[in-house]
This record gives sequence, structure tokens and C-alpha cells, in this order.
Amino acid sequence: MKRTMTAIALGMAASPALADKAAVLDTYADIAQAGYEDSLIKAQELKAAVEALLADPSPDTLAAARTAWLESRVPYQQTEAYRFGNAIVDDWEGKVNAWPLDEGLIDYVDATYGGATDENLYAALNVVANPAFTLSGVEIDASEITPALLEDQLHEADAVEANVATGYHAIEFLLWGQDLNGTEPGAGSRVWTDYALDDACTNGNCDRRGEYLQAATDLLISDLEWMAAQWTDDGEARTTLMSNEDAGIVAMLTGMGSLSYGEQAGERMKLGVMLNDPEEEHDCFSDNTHNSHYYDGLGIRNVYMGEYVRIDGSVVSGPSLSELVAEADADVDSALRADLNQTMIELGQIKAAAEAGFSYDQMLARGNAAGEDLIMSAVNALVTQTRSIERAVSALGLDQIGFEGSDSLDNPDAVFQ
Amino acid sequence: MRFFLVAVLSCLALPAVADVQAVLQDHVQPRIDRFAQETDELAEAASADCTATGLRPAYQDAFDAWMGVSHLSFGPLEDEGRMLAIAFWPDSRGMVARALSSLVADQDQIVRTPEGFAEVSVAARGLFALERLLYDDDFSGYGAQEYECTLVRAIARDLARMAAAVNRDWDDFAKTMLTAGQGGNTRFLTEREPRLALYTALMTGLEFTEDQRLGRPLGTFERPRPNRAEARRSGRSLRNVVLSLEALRDLARTLSATPIPRSEAAFDEALETARRIETPDLASVADPSTRIRVEALQQRIGDIRETVAAEIGAALGLSAGFNSMDGD
Repeated sequence: MKRTMTAIALGMAASPALADKAAVLDTYADIAQAGYEDSLIKAQELKAAVEALLADPSPDTLAAARTAWLESRVPYQQTEAYRFGNAIVDDWEGKVNAWPLDEGLIDYVDATYGGATDENLYAALNVVANPAFTLSGVEIDASEITPALLEDQLHEADAVEANVATGYHAIEFLLWGQDLNGTEPGAGSRVWTDYALDDACTNGNCDRRGEYLQAATDLLISDLEWMAAQWTDDGEARTTLMSNEDAGIVAMLTGMGSLSYGEQAGERMKLGVMLNDPEEEHDCFSDNTHNSHYYDGLGIRNVYMGEYVRIDGSVVSGPSLSELVAEADADVDSALRADLNQTMIELGQIKAAAEAGFSYDQMLARGNAAGEDLIMSAVNALVTQTRSIERAVSALGLDQIGFEGSDSLDNPDAVFQ
Repeated sequence: MRFFLVAVLSCLALPAVADVQAVLQDHVQPRIDRFAQETDELAEAASADCTATGLRPAYQDAFDAWMGVSHLSFGPLEDEGRMLAIAFWPDSRGMVARALSSLVADQDQIVRTPEGFAEVSVAARGLFALERLLYDDDFSGYGAQEYECTLVRAIARDLARMAAAVNRDWDDFAKTMLTAGQGGNTRFLTEREPRLALYTALMTGLEFTEDQRLGRPLGTFERPRPNRAEARRSGRSLRNVVLSLEALRDLARTLSATPIPRSEAAFDEALETARRIETPDLASVADPSTRIRVEALQQRIGDIRETVAAEIGAALGLSAGFNSMDGD
């Protein structure tokens, strides 16, 4: 939740008024709107597939629901570049895409998972199996599994972030189950009979498991509906963005830089490879991590190039941040464009290897030099592009940006008193 | 009016800009040297006596030396993920205990060679893995003939190896910083960029101590988290806060060519506040009557950040760049 380079720029005259910043911000907001609308459309398809699974559980309906989930990730991951620059997105994001999770909160897990930990008393709560339990001293009635129960009582229960009860990854776990293959190939292998409604039901409580899946999917849709609305003409995300042009441009660059460096290069990629831990995979149940990383990278590039290819193939584009930076310093712009492209090549190589059968969890294995090289090359490309993003901030004269909530920004007089 | 003053200052190249050479000579190099030396002594001590009680003094010295450099999070310490391998914290998923237990249960022979051990998960390497072996009752009772002894020696040797590599790499990296803006230097394109890297390290270090070293154990008033304090098993939580502030104050002083009275006062205030905390492991966060002192310290560090931003950042025309803790 850090936004070191926060979307508050001093309104100084140093930023040259060259290209039309408002038009660049329009493009940025249009891409956000299209991205969240696409995410919503795909989530609605996921809901239809989940309903088909629950109405008629079978290998085919489970496979169709998994496919719908995988497709739904393509537009959503591209919106992650909006997260760190826009407080309204960052404050909301935890409900939708929180990770990593202690999945034992939700449903049954393998004995090797262990139980409650020092960090999380509820790591193995198993809501699907327990219609009543105590959370932080409060009796919870979970006889009906509803969106409200997930959102208001289970999500981040006991103020532990790993208690992820909602969003894409909770749904992913319910569709795939735990990946017990370690750093060997293979994703989670939940059987369709986990949703069977008669004696065929495996692992117990199939009806409650279905209720949970339904509730989580409904919640995902209402959350995405809300966010898509924030980017419409009168939506709060768009109006906040447009209210201060320099701050808006800084928000764009902050989102790009923070996702590139601290989040993707660091938390999601380097940490996993250095821990050799397959649970550090972003989409660990489905083994979709290579795509998760790839579309994050593409989303960052979309923001800079002012171009987004929608799920129906149509293109949203307009005046770009790249053009704005090029007017200020053509070298900085061309270096940043080259860096973004290089990152896509590196992420593309991970994706290519993964799709050819060298799965992301294998890449994380101890002593797997080829996997480590693939991942670290992408990490280095992301770090390099972060430096170019900082140079773009400077080129635009926007680097007198300070800390969120800092006195020096809110009240510049204060610090010299 | 004063708002205008900030704007003007930040647009001028002031004569009082930081001398990167001075920072490298007076701040970076002696501290990196010391870290290399202390980890070397730790490895020697481990080879002489690997038992928990025997090795604790050398461990404490090595950790002290680490606190002198842990804020230099760019360049050699960032390369190859060395920061994580030297000091894997926070460990919000309990990976250290898990990784160590798994090595011990398997009697994993990978600990026999430095090359092999360098491949091991960072959760089972570095200062925090060693802390668990030396101070946690679940591990610390091993004898000199047991597997844990070999593991302790491997961790100590691995730390010394990484510190030596960091020390060596800083020679080259220092040259890269000093040739900023010259042809062929693709890392630092302008003279301003190395200063920005140092300034970002300063601000990031303050933020880390405020949000992580103090914020994690503080939790909330209703739900304090004393078990999340950094290095609580070795009783170093408060000491780490103090040593990090002292290191950051030294960086602030060398980074600014002119006196920084406001920042000095802010650091003094925070260090004075730290002296009033009586629990080395910050357990007092869980006691409503003493918790307030830890909260106060956290606020004082927030004050340092604002003062440094205004007094040093504005004067140098710098604001912090992206840091590795951006993200969630």
C-alpha cells in the first residue's frame, strides 16, 4: 500500500506545457474504462460457466469454468498498472486480486499444509466444512455462505492479509484446488465431484463449496461493476485524475514504476525464485503465473503507449504519455520504449517456455539455472525500465513529488516554520 | 510565498550539492568494509565453535555491522538478490522455520559446499535463519556433532562470501557512480542520478524502519503483534531501529554538503524517544501503558522523513525515486 511517489505534484511552472496533458489523461482513463469493462464481461462469462458447473457438475463443465477463469485474467492483469497511481484502485484491489492466500481458510487442504500458524490463527479454518466458528472472539454464523459473509467477515479476518476470502485467487483455488506438485510440473487437480450434489460428492460439503464459489463469483462481478463505473465520464476515478493534470501524469508514471519494480520485479518474481517456493507463484493453483506476469507487463506498456487491445480485438488508443515525454526529451522516450519492449520480450520468453511445458513452478526449483535465468532476466528488464520511468518523471519536470500526506506537500509553509 | 521559494530552489543547481565521492568514502566504504570483516569473523567463530551459546557474540557483532549498510539497497546489495539472501525479513508466511526444518529433517547434504548452499532458499540462509538456529529453543540445543552445526557453519560462511562479494563489487560500482553522465556509463546518465539513488536509499530506509520495523509489531491498538518484531528472538528489535537511524543520520549528513540542523534535531528527537523504550524485543507494544512510546517513536521517524524531504531533498532538487518496497 505504499505510494512513495504519490500523485501530488507541486503545481510549479517547471513542467513545460507542450503536448496536451488532458488528452493524454483522457486516453489513460479510456483504457482503464475499457479494461475494467472487459474484465467485467469476462467475469460474467465466468459466472455463467460457474452456474453451468453447479447445475450439472461434470469434467466438462469444470473444464469450461477453468477456461473462463483463465480468459478473465487477460484483461484484468492489464489493469494492474492502474493500481499504484490511483488510490481509488489500490484501496479496492485487495478484494479482487489479493495474494498470496492461506487457502485452508476456505476449504480442505492436504495434511502437509499444516494448521494455524503464529502469523495466522485461521490459516486452516475451512469455512466450507464449518457452518459456525469463532473469529477474533466473535461467533460467526456461516450456515449460509453469502457475498456479505465473505466480504465483511472472512476477508482479511483477524487483520491477516493472507486470509483472502474473495477475488480471483479464491475462485482459482475453488476451481483448481491446491497444487501439490511442488516444483514439479502440474497444477491443482481438484476433481469435478467436489461439486457433485449426490453420493458422488468428494471431500464433503459439496453444496457449501458450490455456495462459496457462487458467492465469490457474484462478489467479483459487483466489485468489477463498481470499478468500471468509476472510470466513466462522471466517475470518481476519472474526475480525480483530471482534476490536476500534473498529478494525473504523475499517477500514470507512479503506477508504471511501482508495479514494475517493487511489486512485479521484487515481490512477485525475485522473491519466488530466491525462496524456491512454488507457493510464491502468483497464479499458483492454475499454473497461470507466466500469463499473469506477461499481462502485467503489457498493461504497463499500454499505459505508456496509449494503446489497449480489447478482448474483442478492437483498439482503444489516443494521445500518449510516450508522445508527451518525447516532446520533453526524445532520448528518454526512446529509451523507455525500448525498455518496455525488452521487458515484453523477456516476459514472452517465460510465457513461451511455460506454454511448451516448462512450467513456472519448475523454473523456481532449487538449482534450476535455466529457470532462474529466465526469471532474473525479466526482473532485470523491469528494474531497468523503472530507471527509465524515473527519467521520464524528471524529463517532464514532475520530480518535485513528495511523500503521501507529507506536510511539505499539503502545507509547503509548514516545514520552514 | 515560501511555496515559491521551494520551487525556485529546486530548479537551481546549488553549489551545496552532495559530493558523491564524500558519501562513498566516508559513509559507504567504511561500513561495507566493516560488514565484510564482521561476517568473516562470524565464519571463523563458527568454525571454531558452532554451538548456539558460543556463536551468539559474533552473531550480534555481524548483525550490528549489517545494520550499518542495510539501507544501501541499490547496486551490489540489490544484485543477485543479496539483500534477501542476507536478511530475509519480514517473513510473513513462516518460511524460515519451514525451510530450516526441511533441511534438518532431510539432513540435506547441500550444506557441504558453498556453491551448493548458495542455491538454497533464502529463507534458510542469512542472518534470520542463523538467528533461528542460535536463539529459538526449537533449534538451538544442537551439539557440535549434529547436522545443525554444519548448517550454522554453512550460513556463516555464506554470509562472509556474500559480504566479500558486495565489498568487491562496490569498488566497481563506486566508479560507476563517480563517472555518472560520462560516455559509456549506462547506469547513471547524469550527475544527478547517483545523488538520487543515495537520497532514495535514505528515504526508503526511514520508511522501512517506520512501517516495517515498528509498524509490523505495533499492528493496531486492539491487535498488537509483538511476535512480528524484527529479530525479536535475538533481542535486537529496538537495537535495529536505533542502529538504522544512526546509519541513516550519517548518510543524511554526508549527503548534504551544508549543515542540516532541522534534520539533526529530528534524528535526535527520535533517538531520544527510542531510549525511553524498555523492551529490547519491542514486546511493550502489547502493553497499553507502554505501547505509546513505540507509537511515539514511529511518529518521530515520520517527522524525520518530512524534515529530510524539506531540508535535504528540496535543497538538492531531489525527491525519492521508486523503491523496492513500493507495491504491497
